[in-house]
Amino acid sequence: MSDFGFHLAFWSLAAMTIGGATMIIFTRNLIHAVIWMVIAMLGIAGLYLTLSADFIAVVQVLIYVGAISVLMLFAIMLTPRAERDNAEGSLLIPAISVAFLLAVAMVYVAIDTDWGAVRDAPISQQARIIGESLINEYVLPFEIGAVLLTAALVGAIALAREDDEDKAIHAASLAAEAAADGDEPETPVDPPIVGESDAPGGGS
Amino acid sequence: MTIGLEEYLALGAILFCIGLLIALTKKNTVAVLMGVELMLNAVNITLIAFSRFSASDVALSSQIFVVFIIAVAAAEVAVGLAMALVVYRNRHTISVDRTRLLRG
Repeated sequence: MSDFGFHLAFWSLAAMTIGGATMIIFTRNLIHAVIWMVIAMLGIAGLYLTLSADFIAVVQVLIYVGAISVLMLFAIMLTPRAERDNAEGSLLIPAISVAFLLAVAMVYVAIDTDWGAVRDAPISQQARIIGESLINEYVLPFEIGAVLLTAALVGAIALAREDDEDKAIHAASLAAEAAADGDEPETPVDPPIVGESDAPGGGS
Repeated sequence: MTIGLEEYLALGAILFCIGLLIALTKKNTVAVLMGVELMLNAVNITLIAFSRFSASDVALSSQIFVVFIIAVAAAEVAVGLAMALVVYRNRHTISVDRTRLLRG
């Protein structure tokens, strides 16, 4: 690989990844935060390419840029009355100190340790080797992963659908909450809000 | 200066800490899930870097590990966002500061 092009690719992709991830912290709009996450994920896919892991790079673009970002946008759009402002919670100062100290410690260890890195030529035909090992020596984890994905999809559908029994439970819990937690006027816990017909997902 | 294993590991460490900061500070559940995804991706960068700079007979094991991590992360996001929708339907908020039914 040509050295200058590799340096340019690594530093620009690293700047794209770190910059996108940092903008998730600073941007005020949650939709923009998802877009910045997509930019960071694309940078990570490019970094996989500089590490000559082509199959993982394509999987990264498919899953993260394609599927998970759209899923997050759906979740934001389906919660229209929630806060959209991407604000910080009450843990700001301790979280910043913990993250900063952890970053300093891990970067120091990564730079300081002698990892004994081997710089061979990259392996060719990676997708073929990965596919063959997935159905030979890794076939049991592969099948368990398939079962896990099925269970997760069925669980997500079972969680997200709403029926009449759930509505009664919601009404009861909201009424109990309003009785016990009456000191917060900004919380919309009035029982009539359950009966409104414009609730998302209520038209099924 | 050449780009070696150390640069990739440092990049992964910084990205992990940014994801940790997002997951700890943000109020919205979707933003917290974004932070968790960034942390998983930082771990994936580290694994792929070790895969590139290790002996070639064991190199692809970590790529297979990354494939499984991506599958589990996809399942986690699907269930997590469904839980966020259920919480929104019950409480009309998905702020993690105001969802505190389990606090004693």
